Order: sequence, then structure tokens, then C-alpha cells
Amino acid sequence: MEKLVAKYVWEWPVRIVHWVNFLSILTLSVTGIYIGWAKTLAHDPSQYVMGWMRFVHFVAGYAFTISVISRICWAFVGNEYANWRTFVPWAFKDGRKNMKETFLFYVFARPRPPHAVGHNAMAGAAYLWVFLLYLVMICTGFALYAQYAPGSLLSRAFGWVYIFGSSQGLRLTHHCVMWLLLAFAIHHVYSAWLMDVKEKDGCMSSIFGGWKSVHEEE
Amino acid sequence: MAKIVIDPVTRIEGHLRIEAEVSGSSVADAWSSSTMFRGIERILQGRDPRDAWYFTQRLCGVCTTVHSIASIRSVENALGIRIPPNAELIRNLIMGIQNVQDHVIHFYHLHALDWVDITSALKADPARTAELAASLSDWPLNSPTYFKGVQAKLSAFVSRGRLGPFANAYWGHPAYKLPPEANLMATAHYLEALEWQKDVIRIHAILGSKNPHPQTFLVGGMAIAVDPDSQTALNANKLEEIRLLLGKAREFVEKVYIPDLLAVASFYKEWAGIGGGVGNYLCYGEFPADNSGKPEVLWIPRGIILNRDLSRLHPVEQDKITEYVDHSWYEGKPGTALHPWDGETDYKYTGPKPPYEYLNTDEKYSWVKAPRYADLPMEVGPLARCLVAYASGHKEVKPVVDLVLSKLQVGPEALFSTLGRTAARGIETLVIAQKLPQWLDALVANIKGGDLSIHNNEKWDPDTWPAEAKGFGWHEAPRGSLGHWIRIKDQKIANYQAVVPSTWLASPRDAKGQRGPYEAALQGTPLADPKRPLEILRTVHSFDPCLACAVHLLDPTGNETVKVV
Amino acid sequence: MDKKDNEQAAVAEERQMRKTVWEEKGISRRDFMKFCTAMSAALALPVTFAPKIARALDEVQRPTLVWLEFQDCAGNTEALLRSSSPSVAEIILDVLSLDYHETIMAAAGHQAEDALMKTVREQKGKYIAVVEGSIPLKDDGIYCCVGGKSARDLAREVCGNAFATIAVGTCAAYGGIPAAAPNPTGAVGVKDAVPGATVINLPGCPLNPDNLTATVIHFLTFGKLPATDSQGRPLFAYGKRIHDNCERRPHFDAGQYVEQWGDMAHRRGHCLYKMGCKGPETWHNCPIQRYNDKTSWPVGAGHGCVGCSEANFWDTMTPFYKRLPNVPGFGIEYTADQIGAGLAIATAAAFAGHGVISALRRNKDTEGKKEE
Repeated sequence: MEKLVAKYVWEWPVRIVHWVNFLSILTLSVTGIYIGWAKTLAHDPSQYVMGWMRFVHFVAGYAFTISVISRICWAFVGNEYANWRTFVPWAFKDGRKNMKETFLFYVFARPRPPHAVGHNAMAGAAYLWVFLLYLVMICTGFALYAQYAPGSLLSRAFGWVYIFGSSQGLRLTHHCVMWLLLAFAIHHVYSAWLMDVKEKDGCMSSIFGGWKSVHEEE
Repeated sequence: MAKIVIDPVTRIEGHLRIEAEVSGSSVADAWSSSTMFRGIERILQGRDPRDAWYFTQRLCGVCTTVHSIASIRSVENALGIRIPPNAELIRNLIMGIQNVQDHVIHFYHLHALDWVDITSALKADPARTAELAASLSDWPLNSPTYFKGVQAKLSAFVSRGRLGPFANAYWGHPAYKLPPEANLMATAHYLEALEWQKDVIRIHAILGSKNPHPQTFLVGGMAIAVDPDSQTALNANKLEEIRLLLGKAREFVEKVYIPDLLAVASFYKEWAGIGGGVGNYLCYGEFPADNSGKPEVLWIPRGIILNRDLSRLHPVEQDKITEYVDHSWYEGKPGTALHPWDGETDYKYTGPKPPYEYLNTDEKYSWVKAPRYADLPMEVGPLARCLVAYASGHKEVKPVVDLVLSKLQVGPEALFSTLGRTAARGIETLVIAQKLPQWLDALVANIKGGDLSIHNNEKWDPDTWPAEAKGFGWHEAPRGSLGHWIRIKDQKIANYQAVVPSTWLASPRDAKGQRGPYEAALQGTPLADPKRPLEILRTVHSFDPCLACAVHLLDPTGNETVKVV
Repeated sequence: MDKKDNEQAAVAEERQMRKTVWEEKGISRRDFMKFCTAMSAALALPVTFAPKIARALDEVQRPTLVWLEFQDCAGNTEALLRSSSPSVAEIILDVLSLDYHETIMAAAGHQAEDALMKTVREQKGKYIAVVEGSIPLKDDGIYCCVGGKSARDLAREVCGNAFATIAVGTCAAYGGIPAAAPNPTGAVGVKDAVPGATVINLPGCPLNPDNLTATVIHFLTFGKLPATDSQGRPLFAYGKRIHDNCERRPHFDAGQYVEQWGDMAHRRGHCLYKMGCKGPETWHNCPIQRYNDKTSWPVGAGHGCVGCSEANFWDTMTPFYKRLPNVPGFGIEYTADQIGAGLAIATAAAFAGHGVISALRRNKDTEGKKEE
């Protein structure tokens, strides 16, 4: 029989990054939706509704950027579960097998997911794409933001983004990717819940404390 | 027979080429060709119909309002939108001042140099010029000192040996007949008009944000808010500024333009017998008195005159308008003319490879199509409008026409000519300049009554539209009858077609070989010196050519492929 | 008597010639200085530069300018005729020797072409070419011919031999409306049609004539062409976004928006952001420089900016009355956000479905185990 043992999987930087991402994405989405779908909330010009929305959006944007960069760094110094290899499972033999089995589990073709302690292989691959979307958001966001100060360090740092499209094209991308990330968030919470109930691995609580229940194969 | 080519025809908008066969000392036959193509109708397909006006406005930068007006009217017609009275009046003001300004520019800056020899003005006596000017009107600038100043300016310009835009013209041509004093007066007014036009057109800036290409048009109304208690909206201050500018416009027309026109015309009366053209005249009518959309409320009436018969006025039916492409660089069934809603054409250049000497005028030779009304070529423009109004006994137009005819001591038949076209433009300018303050008064009265509405929002949201709709928008542009035809499908433009004044006028031959108005009018034009065909320019310029908008393309299906030569 | 008058006039003229080109042209010193001050403002220079500009203009020999029109609507020519600073029309006509301009020149046909070719020949490398309208490259350039020559060949000859070319309006700068999708004639701007030419882009639909004058004056004053951004536009005119100079900006920051044409917010001059204004993505000095003697400008009058000074604005800034472009592949009635929200909801629904199946399956699994 299998035995469940507690294992420290998510180190504190991973957990902080996770929650900073959660809060900043939430804030960025709420303020971003207002910026895109402005509503007249002010009654006189002395109010500063859009001004504050944008301010909060930009601050959250910086927080998010720092968080994402930290996580990328941690992928090279953190434990095996945080390592960059988790995010490119297809590059390793085990990973490929794990991916296939997880996929079969998700489509109900296999009763149990394969053994995984950190991210399962499918999740790891998905996070790579999510991080790419994060980078798209960061680059389009800062490229658009930098327009307020042409010639500044910021605008020079992100000027290259405009080779991919006009400012309207970037803005459209910024909107669409937000919805993709929100769709991902739904998927993310569901999958974690699924693992939690299926595997009873404490997936949901692990992101708070870092400890997961792991099947120890006999 | 010798064939002469004028390309580019200058002092017009766009790219016009005239080829003419000369027999003896007059033009035996002529071909009018436009040598530029952009394909704006194709570009419009699949776009938001509410955006169309901004695109079509770029058909022409000279008559810079007209294609926006026709476009928003076509969408409003397709969707059944009635615009608020304020918007109707604002549009009347914009259209009216456009006519006035455009006609004055045409007369002084595009047409006058065909009649006025600027170099001869150097020989004029300023004192006698002032006498001449004073005998024509009480314009305050009619002093010897003033004309002396203009002459000094001119001679300084000439003495530096760099004539700039006045270089290489037909100066000293025997067909120039004005005495030096009249030339000096006209030159002075050429310069004055340059200042005047940019001032009066500020009305477009006030109501439309800028000129050229005003930007406050909207499907369903106008985007200039009206509110006497707002800094930013149209308030008393701005209305008063418009009133002052309207006064300035009217004064110049009454005291400078019309007297100059009559004075110049009196030296060129033989041109009342030259350049008649096709003899059929079409006018869609313009300046609605209310927002009912009915033709009866148009201040300039709608109608057709056939064969120069002023005793009969025919109604205009939109389904009788068709276009031929037999001599135009488009594919299409030979001998078949199609209605703008139903046409099927594809552009295909078959002309000579540039650089070329002559076009093959037996085959296709222009980017302009050949529109016909009930299979007849039609002249449109100020002359057509004047004639239709005259024939209908219009209470404001008829007296002015009669006055001009009596001053020049000619009968109404003189109107069917190059001179008549140029005179009609002046007549119309005067009548509109006098009418404009009434529309401003009506607007003020409306605002005073508490009506601040400028836009009908009911059909703004595309979700309120039917799945399919079609409509047409007509407008009397400075150069003549302009029509836009639109088909809307699934909230997008399925097809767009403009039949514009210069398409009517610069039209090449149709399937039956009937000449277009330019071509017909040029036949028989005398030429004193075929190497310097000044007379051809006179007749062509009397139509006020504006070619960019004449060239366009139709594609009703929206899915045919571009065929490349 | 007449003769004597004429002689006196000649003497007076001689005296005038010794003053300045300006006074000779009948432009008063005051008007002239006013113009120079306006120009230093247009160039975003301190007012103290006005005397420097005045000096430059006094000393200059009229540089030759030829104005070519290709796939155009003459809107920029008309804009030139409406130039707002005092007597700027004369300044353009007089300071510069405008040797070729189809819309206003007296000569026509061969004589007109001769004037152009003479300039190209005799002043090679010295004259300034102004181009209005795009240049069609498809099918050997047959879609625009002047005097039997294609626009492309003419542009290569005239712009290729010019000291510099100023592309006026968005068509000449970037292809403009003829280049809008599907670009039926293969239209491009001057820079693409004449590789290697020195081109200053002054986009706008049409351009603000003050910016053209200012560019020329900049050249005459400083002896070099103005600094430009990555799209070849002078920084003095295109260095900042409309949004950042807009008089309605306080309402944007406050959160006060026009929701319907003619509503209270529209009448009070609130922000046009929701009506599709493209001020936030458009680089142009309209709010400062304005049009027609500084009378007004689009956003000031009540209609949103459409981004006319941006390359490809006909495709990237449309639909004009929506904040964002349409998402490719979807109908125009859908906004990016509707599509995105739909996607998010669909994802939620899909996972809810997965969850239900998963839950059912778990029950089955446990049932099976019991049986065992």
C-alpha cells in the first residue's frame, strides 16, 4: 500500500511569488478592465478616478514584474521542484512519459495521475506558456506605459516591442492576454482542487505552508 | 491631323490629361483621361459604415466636405436615420461656405490665369486701375496707392528673375485680351483672395475643427456640441464669430468677385459661344430646409434639363443612373452600363507602359468611368444648378441670373458655354453667400428655443441595424452632383460606390461613343497657337476639374480576386 | 508724368531691396517678427530664438522648392493655402521659389514639365522636393502617371536628386489611404519608393501647414534638418502624444467621459476616450498648434482623434469609434473584451464539466472498490 508522508515542496520564495502574482494579477485585471472600459464615476474634475486606477495599475505592474523576474531567478537556484527543468518536461525522458500519463488522466483514460511531487508534467509545461504570457504582458504594458516619456530610459528599454505591432496592436494584445490569463487562473484553481481531492496530496494547502502529502511508494 | 497633349493639366485637383486633335485652328476632337487610381471603394469594403465618411472625405482635399456629407447621408438613408434640425443647419452652413470659398478659389487661383496675363499688369497705371475698380464697386481697397503697392510687389518678384509658380506659362499669348489695368486689378484680387479664403473658411474650423478635412461629421448628426453655457461647445461667442465671417465672405463676393467676374467676362464675350458641351444638365438639389429628407424641401431644386430646353424640367430618378466602362481601364461586359448598386467591375490597366507619348484613345484610355443618366451624358455643376433653378423660377436665383445676363447684354442661350459656366459659378456664390446668414439665424433661433440636440443616437449602435441595408446619399458639391451608394451587410460595408461630379464631367466615351462633357465641350474650341493651347485650358478649367475623386472602383460581391495586368 | 511716377517707384523699390526681402514683399517688420515668434513656438524653441530665425530668413537666398503630387487628394496643398501664421502663404511662395506645383502653377503640360526638369538639372542636390500623395509600385507604377511618366520614376528622378525631400501628409510619408488594406495599387511612402533619399516625414491628414513652415524654417535657421523620431517625424512636432497635451486630459484623469454624442458630458467638454478617441496613441502637436489660425482642432471641437499622423492608421486605428481594433477573425460587432470574457466563461464551463465528470467517476471508483 501507499503511504502519505509530508514533504516540504514549495520553498518560501516560491510561495511569496505565487501570492504576489495572485494579488497583482487581480489588481491589474480590475484596474485594467476599468481603464479599458472606463465608466464615468467622477462628478467633478477635481476627482482623480482614472488617475488612481492607472497609478494602482502601474504600481501593481512593477510588483508583478519584480515577482516574475524573481521567480525566473529562483528557477536556477531553488530546489528541484522549482527548477527550470520542471517547465520543459518534454526535454527529458521521464517528463515525456509523465506528460503522456497525465494527459490520459485528464481525459479520463487513466484512473490515477502518475506520480509527481512538485508540478506534474502537464502543469509544468503549462506554466512555461503562462510565464511567456506574463512576459508578453510585461513588455506590452511597459512599452505602452513608456509612451508618456519619449526618449526616457523606459521608452528606450521597451522601444523594440513596437517591431511587433502598432500601439493599438500592442494594446489589443494586452487586453486579449489578460483574458487568457484569467482563463488560466480558472483552470489553475480547478486543477489544484482536483489534485487535492483525487490525490489527497494537500495541493491546495501546500501553497500556503509549502508542505505537500506525498505518496511514498513501497 | 496633329494631336496635342496637355499632361499634366495644372491648376486643378488631381491628374488630368487631355489629348486633342487639331484641325486648322480649332479642336476637332478631344479625349479626357485621368491617370491616377487609388481604389478607395475597395479599401472600404468590410469596414464600419460609420467610418466610411472619413475615408471618402479623402477622395478629394479641395472639395473637402462633400464626400463626407454624401457618405453620412448614404448611411443615414440606408438605416432610415433622421438627424436633428441643429445638425441639418450646421451641415448647411458647412456646405454653403464650402461652396463660396471653393468657387472664389477656383475663380482667382485656378481659373483666372487663363484670362488674366499677370505680366501685363506690370504695364498698368495704378491710378487708372483704381478708377476702373472704383467704377465697379466701393471695395475699400480701391486706391491708387494700393494698386501701386501691388504692382511694386509684383515687379520686385519678376525682377528677381525667379517666377516660381508663374514661370513658363502662356504669358503674352494673343488670346489674352484684358487691358493692363484690368490685369493689375485681377492680380491684386488674386492675392487678396488668397488671404480672404483662409480667413472665411475658419467657419469650418469653428464648426468642424479644421479645414481642409473637417472632422465633426457623424452618421446621425454632428460631433460639435451645442450649449450656450459651455466653454467648449458652440456658444454665443462662436456663433458671433461665424456671423462676422459670413459677413466678410458676402462682402468680398459682392464687392470683388462679382464685379471682377463681370468685368473680365465683358472682354471675353465670344466665349459665350464656345465650349457648350453635351447640353444635358443634372442637379440633385441641395440645402434642405428641414430634416424630412423630402426633395421638396431642397432650397436649390432637383431636376434635369435636356437638350438645352429651359421650358421643361424633368424629375431625377436614381435608378436611371448607370456607368459604362467601355473606354475605362476596368473589366466589364462591353456595351453594358450598370447601376452603382449592381455593377460588377474590376480594374485592369490596358494602356501603354509608361513613359508614353499618347494613349490609345480608340480603346480604353482613362481611370474615369462613363456615367450616364437614362443613357445620356450629363453636365453637372454650378451651371446645371443655375439652369435648373432658373427653369423652375427660383425666387433667389432667377433675378441674379437675369441681372448678370442684362449686364453682359446677352440672352439665356449664352449660358450654355464656357463663359456661362464661369458666370453661373459666380451667380451661385452670390446667392449662397446671401443665404448663409439665414441658416445661422435659424440655428440661433433653434438654440434659443432650447434645442441643444446635435445627434440622433437611436441607430448609433450597430446592433440596432438590420442584417442588410442599402442606401444612397446625394449632395450638390461645388463641382456638381455627387452621389454615394452603399450596401451594408452584417454591420459592414459590402459595397460602396461614388458617382462624383468629375466622373460625369471628365467621363470618357461610352459604349455608343457619346463623348463626355469635357470632350464634347472642347470640340470646336479655337486655338490661336496649338503649341500653347491656352483655349483648351479655359474650357477645361471652366468645369473646375477635380480628378482624384473621379477615379474609383466598384466591387459588389466583396470576394472577387484582384486581377493584375 | 507716368514715366516720372514709374521712376520714383523704381527708386523706392531699389531702396526697399536694400532693406529686407520681407519688407520688399510687402510684409511689415511687425508681421514678420510675429511670424518668427510663432515659428519659434511651433518649433518648440524659446521665444529668444525669434531674432535668430528672422536673421536666417533675411540672409537666405530663396531655396528652390518643387511640389510633386501623386496619389493624393490635394488636401495638403489646400492646407498650405490655409497656413495660419501671418502671411505664411506668401512666405512659402516668396521665401522659397516654388518652381513646380501642379495645383497652383500657371504653366501646364509640356511647359510645366519643362519647369520641373530644369530645376532637377540646374539645381541638382540643392533644391527641396515636397511630395504629396503615395506612390504606387504595383504593375510598374501604372496607377499614377504624370506627363506620361510613372510616379515612381518621377519620384526617383526628382527626390533622388534633391537636397532633401519633405513627405507631406500621411500618404507621402507612409502610403496613407491608398495603402490601406488591401492596398490595391501597392502604394508606399516616399522613403520606400526612393531608397536612399533623405526624407523628412510630416504626416497628418492633411498635415498641419505650420509644421511644414517650421521644418523649412528650422533648416534655414540651424542649417540642418530637424531631429526625428524612429518614423522620420520631426520631434518638435511629433515628439509628444496628443493625449499628453490634450485640453480634455483633466477629465480623462478625473474619470469623466462622453458616453453619447451630444450628452451633458459632450457639451461640457469631457474626455472623448469612450467615443474611440485615438489621442492616447497618436503623436502630433494638434492640441498646441491647432488649425486654421489656431482656431480649433478635432478633439477640441468634439470629435475624437483618429490618429491620422500614425503610419497605417487606416488599418490600426479603425474602427474610429471604438477604443480597440477589431480582433482578426471575429465580426466587427465583437470587442476584444467581449471575446476575452467569452473565453474566460467558456474555460470555466469546460472545467466545471470536467469537475462533474470527475466527481461522478470518483463515486464509481469507490463503488467498485466496495464491491471488491
